[in-house]
Amino acid sequence: MTSSADKAVVERPTGFQRAAFEAFLETRDEPCWITDLRRKAFDLYADRLEVPLDPEEFKRVDLRAFRPDDYRLSPPAAPSAEFATLLADRAKFAGSVTHVDGSGTQAVLDEKLARQGVLFGNLATLVRDHRTVLEPHLMTRGVRPATDRFSAWHAAFWTGGTVLYVPRNVQIDEPLHSLIGLSEPQGADFSHTLVVLEEGSSATLLEETASAHVDAPGLHVGAVELLIGPEAALRYVQLQNWNPRTFHFAHQAGHVDRSGKLQWTVGGLGSRLAHIHQRVSLDGQGAEAQVNGVTFATGRQLISYYTQQTHNAPNTTSDLLYKEVLRDKARVVWRGMIKVEPEAQKTDGYQRSDALLLSHTCRCDSIPGLEIEADDVRCTHGATAGRVDEEQIFYCMCRGLSRFEAMHLIVEGFFHSVYDRIPVEAVRETLSRTVERKLGIGG
Amino acid sequence: MSDFEQIATVDELPPGGRKPVVIDETPALLLRIGNDFYAIEDVCTHDGQPLTDGPLAGCEITCPRHGARFDVRTGKALCMPATEPVQTFEIQIRDNAVFGRSRD
Repeated sequence: MTSSADKAVVERPTGFQRAAFEAFLETRDEPCWITDLRRKAFDLYADRLEVPLDPEEFKRVDLRAFRPDDYRLSPPAAPSAEFATLLADRAKFAGSVTHVDGSGTQAVLDEKLARQGVLFGNLATLVRDHRTVLEPHLMTRGVRPATDRFSAWHAAFWTGGTVLYVPRNVQIDEPLHSLIGLSEPQGADFSHTLVVLEEGSSATLLEETASAHVDAPGLHVGAVELLIGPEAALRYVQLQNWNPRTFHFAHQAGHVDRSGKLQWTVGGLGSRLAHIHQRVSLDGQGAEAQVNGVTFATGRQLISYYTQQTHNAPNTTSDLLYKEVLRDKARVVWRGMIKVEPEAQKTDGYQRSDALLLSHTCRCDSIPGLEIEADDVRCTHGATAGRVDEEQIFYCMCRGLSRFEAMHLIVEGFFHSVYDRIPVEAVRETLSRTVERKLGIGG
Repeated sequence: MSDFEQIATVDELPPGGRKPVVIDETPALLLRIGNDFYAIEDVCTHDGQPLTDGPLAGCEITCPRHGARFDVRTGKALCMPATEPVQTFEIQIRDNAVFGRSRD
């Protein structure tokens, strides 16, 4: 293992061609079934690269300035870097996992939970000993490698990631924390988050991404799979806070079984360009999903969310609310779809996206959509985009606030309806603090 | 202000030639008109799509989709549907090399 890691340090090809893939495999100490899956995924990736990107999807997400060959994977050493984490010190956690440059550097779990059979740790380590638990779930239902070039790319090169497995009827009351960091310039992170909740269990996972350096270029090609069993409940928060020179691509999927509940909150704050496919599937009767999104794009950021709420079973509920604030020359794209299959009668689906534009030069494209094949459903959708009302600012300034403070108050108020839906106080506070920082208030 | 980065060589582009490049992490279009070089952001300010293949007449480039026209020297929008100017880049020629950087 040491020698292969050393070898990687010496050679370390950049890019993601076949030579880089073979060199990457040599650095991995993994069971054969994983290597086989990787090889299949790499072939898929090579095929997908030949196919042009979907013009409809990528006409708003300009990848011309993105050069994958500028980035490389780090050897599986344990880099040490300091991260300004948003969440780590804000609450008491039952466990925490840290990844830096694709390598797991820390994994802690409350012993009591470990004794109950809970698994929480680094995917790269857990696949060695827990094949029976992980194999049925890893990229089989949630994120499939064949979806597009990014999912195949991720499936071939995933570096690690956080796994949470909660056995039947185990309740985890305290939240768990996961940090994904990038420290090396030109570094790439391919982390994979896999959460499996068996019947009747519950958990809360707070995940954040961060860069150690403000201006080090980085790449993240990630995947998130949240598999919620019957009557299980998951609260999952992901705060994306890369530096403004990181490209972020991700496929994220949640599957909710009979009477299961998923509450999913995303914060899109950092990155140069982020393009995320977020999908929730309600697969069992009575399944519920609530999706909350907070996006604040400044400078030349482009943040794009493609969301899909798929109703596959009767009496299922989905409720999506995204709030976006844009400033400078930032762009936000939100394309939402509610899909109702013929058997999903009595579906209740809702989606809404509101954008607040703080400058003349920012731009938001909101495209809500419905695709309904059942005939007894309630589906509502809507999108708004608007400038800050000068009268509101005037009103605040009449009461002694500066223009800047007034703007802050209005932005806070705008986000409030989504903050109100987030039950974890630490997350609410963190989002609010980060928004302040982006507005230029506070340290 | 960003540093100058080399984006082409002079003999790569004949007069009337063009080349899509990246300057300061922004997709740009380098144009040679006579012996002068110009670079504009390769995005129409109307629909947010590339200007790459837009026809060029004198110093005016026309968006291939909806016909918006821009002056490549100043970036100024010359007709509807575009109302906002397109970003222009500073160009320097050193020997046979063409360098570009953003103005802000």
